[in-house]
Amino acid sequence: MTSAPVLPAGAAGSGNARERARQLDRDDELGFLRDEFNIPTKGQIVSTSLPEGSSANNNDSDTTTKCIYLCGNSLGLQPRRTQTRLSQYLSTWATQGVQGHFKPLTNSPLPTWLDVDERAAEMIAPIVGARVSEVAIMQTLTANLHLLMSAFYKPDANKRHKIILESKAFPSDHFAVETQLRHHGLDASKSMVLLKSERSRDNILTTEEICGVIDLHKEDAFLLLLPGIQYYTGQLFDIETITAYAKERGIFVIWDLAHAVGNVELRLHEWGVDAAAWCSYKYLNGGPGCIGGMFVHENNSAVTKLITDERPEEGYNHRLAGWWGNDKKSRFGMENRFHPVKGAAGFQLSNPSVLDITSLCASLEVFEQAGGMGKLREKSLRLTKFLEEQLEGMGEEEKGLFRVITPLDPKQRGAQLSLGLGSGLLEGVMKELERQGVIVDERRPDVIRVAPAPLYNGFEDVVGFVEAFGEALRVARRERDAF
Amino acid sequence: MDSLTAAFRSGQKPSFPAEAGTLEYAQSLDQQDKLGHLRKEFNIPTRTSLKKKALNGVSPGENDSEDEKSIYFVGNSLGAQPKAVRRALESQLETWASIGVNGHFSTLENSPLSSWQDLAESCAKKSVDLVGAAVPEEIIYMNTLTANLHLMMASFYKPTAERHKVIIEWKPFPSDWYAIQSQIRHHNLSPSTSLIEIQPTPDLYLTTESILATITEHAPSTALVLLPGIQYYTGQLLDIKTITAHAHSLGIPCVGWDLAHAAGNVPLCLHDWNVDFAVWCTYKYINAGPGSTAGLFLHQKHHSRNLDRLEGWYGADKSVRFLMEKEFKPGKGASGWQLSNPSAIDLASVSAALGVFESVGERYMERLRGKAVVLTGYLECLLEGLIRGGVGRKGEEQAFRIITPGNPLERGTQLSLMLREGILESVSKVLAEEGVVCDARKPDVIRVAPVPMYCRFEDVWKFVEIFKGALARA
Repeated sequence: MTSAPVLPAGAAGSGNARERARQLDRDDELGFLRDEFNIPTKGQIVSTSLPEGSSANNNDSDTTTKCIYLCGNSLGLQPRRTQTRLSQYLSTWATQGVQGHFKPLTNSPLPTWLDVDERAAEMIAPIVGARVSEVAIMQTLTANLHLLMSAFYKPDANKRHKIILESKAFPSDHFAVETQLRHHGLDASKSMVLLKSERSRDNILTTEEICGVIDLHKEDAFLLLLPGIQYYTGQLFDIETITAYAKERGIFVIWDLAHAVGNVELRLHEWGVDAAAWCSYKYLNGGPGCIGGMFVHENNSAVTKLITDERPEEGYNHRLAGWWGNDKKSRFGMENRFHPVKGAAGFQLSNPSVLDITSLCASLEVFEQAGGMGKLREKSLRLTKFLEEQLEGMGEEEKGLFRVITPLDPKQRGAQLSLGLGSGLLEGVMKELERQGVIVDERRPDVIRVAPAPLYNGFEDVVGFVEAFGEALRVARRERDAF
Repeated sequence: MDSLTAAFRSGQKPSFPAEAGTLEYAQSLDQQDKLGHLRKEFNIPTRTSLKKKALNGVSPGENDSEDEKSIYFVGNSLGAQPKAVRRALESQLETWASIGVNGHFSTLENSPLSSWQDLAESCAKKSVDLVGAAVPEEIIYMNTLTANLHLMMASFYKPTAERHKVIIEWKPFPSDWYAIQSQIRHHNLSPSTSLIEIQPTPDLYLTTESILATITEHAPSTALVLLPGIQYYTGQLLDIKTITAHAHSLGIPCVGWDLAHAAGNVPLCLHDWNVDFAVWCTYKYINAGPGSTAGLFLHQKHHSRNLDRLEGWYGADKSVRFLMEKEFKPGKGASGWQLSNPSAIDLASVSAALGVFESVGERYMERLRGKAVVLTGYLECLLEGLIRGGVGRKGEEQAFRIITPGNPLERGTQLSLMLREGILESVSKVLAEEGVVCDARKPDVIRVAPVPMYCRFEDVWKFVEIFKGALARA
């Protein structure tokens, strides 16, 4: 792929645009990755039953035409190899029973079950820019946020106690923070600081605004919890600058990376991020509800005493403990004293689901094939820019029916563009998009989120979407205005 | 066999006939076994497959002869794989591949699984008999056992200066131990003053009297009693009903149970026994696969109490979950403790594994227990024969003793055998060579669990023969 910027925009929906998209797809060095995924067909996405047997004889074009799936910000598509890996997992369990925990099989690509978490950590570390010991694949996102806050949020009502988060945080983060405050007997109205933009009705927050709020609360803020990418607006925050600014003021910094992991380049270690958590079913394609992840900076996870020392618990940061956080060597020793392994692994609780981790790692193999996040982000920037241009090239009539909420500065966004629709159009637009075999994500009352994922989406998907979207807007407006 | 079941279930120890030590007798019990058909619903590792060094595309299948199958007595550690799991996973993968994100809300017609957003609840419905819930809303599947334990303690363990102690037994599973100690420290208390351990007899037996006495002694200062339904090491089944009632009667606000070794093993009546909460994993007797999603029971009496909890968006009621509002409206009962959306792939496995229980019929745990007591009783009978015969005896010291209670009402499927010092390794080696899979706990204990769903009386007989040979050689 050349590093030249995207060609000037042609008129959206014109044959010219589609031609150009096809050329871009042909030139795309990562284009081969699309074949690594199961892309639903138009027929499948409207089907209400599992297909029985082969549908190969059916010539209806809906059974062979791929849908336009721009919903990887909600649920990533299934890598083909997931099925192979899960089948190998099942064979290991079926043939080895409990021996699967520790007995390697020579030609199996899967690690022994005792080592699945470590293998997963090795594979995820480069994606989040961490050392292997700084990451753990475990639990779910919100559980991990609670575990991190239980370990690191130690408020003192007379000194530092406030948690800064955005006013429109993903509800789970909001609930987690609120209940952590309650758990410590604190009052949310006094201890919760909600970031709200003075200027942007969509709550696009500038780094200056965020730093300004940090300054306001620098004496009594304990924790800053922000999303790497805001789920609703698609805004990518300047994680490095904000982290450094908050930490200089003595504030602990946790990032929710649900929408950032596997989407944009991250350097959590280098940026000095204290801790982070993410899910793996969006851009990481691990499957619905798949196991979450956690980052703990090595500065926060040291273990400085031996278990044989006096008061070994003073040698590590307090945490809610479980046996899988113990040093592997002593895990099965059935000792009654917890002594964590250093690093993020020391925050694990129970043995993780091997099935879930196998599913995640199957997808992470595809990230390795892609050559890592640098290459993916490079394509992603071009793909989303292309989407922006195609939207910009739509007819004036359609353009009057929506606006782009996500920042236009590519440094302030990932793959996703959030489109705010005119009032009363959402339902009609979604219905028409679905009819045309386009899957995007809606957020009531008026937003659709469109995310071309560089692993499996191409430029032609973008053109197909914009064509369908234009039509959908016209249909939806007609329907709305008929009332 | 029915008379044996009846005797064991009334707490007696019936005597087996003189010919009990013959293979033919074991086979005759298998012929009377009304649950024998369940065995073919499982992939039992074979003697050959256990020795595999590489995957070769061949899984245990329909054609394996019974002689070829291993003696898989380790369902207390990792249950055998139900064949239904592969079908369920294939359906789930097909759903995800075919309809992508729409799988959250769509249930496909001929799929064995419900839509992803209803999957945890559908597993709860299948588990009502498993744990003895009054309504499915008392159950949810989520996270892992220790995570659920922490979440329950976050709601129920609210220590005060007067009431701060946690009562446990002498040898809880380490993860429980760590979880409880870390909760105590989380509240700036010290385990040395806030953690009370109930001590066993020299035979490692926990008498109900000593449990009740410890509870009585510390009742005024106790915030939580947390015990295992079945003690993992000795296999002792505790009297959950009596202990729970006693603690409540003395004003202790919460009695929780770790049912890792009890769920799917013995019938439970958690609702009627007034248990406040319970947690369990699903990879032992429930057979859902290594590390699979765990279960949680929360008594109905707590559902309308507006208890403090650590919240997450999936705990919000289904009607508002996706509206992204900042006000938390909890879902009904235990489901209100969910945090993030659960793994649909993992729950597919749990759902399939629970389906095998359902296939047993109404009150499935009673039916399974009817076989289990005889299976384990038969194992005990044959093992006692070895002890009486002096197999492997060294001077005055017998080769092993059974540390699991002899009273059938005080144990589940598992018998724990404490071997004479120093022979564990050589015995384990012979067992493995002969195709027996069971669990060794260093230094001296092997735990043997003939699980009624997929183990036969013939397996018990063969195991004892092999064990006998192993002791003689040790």
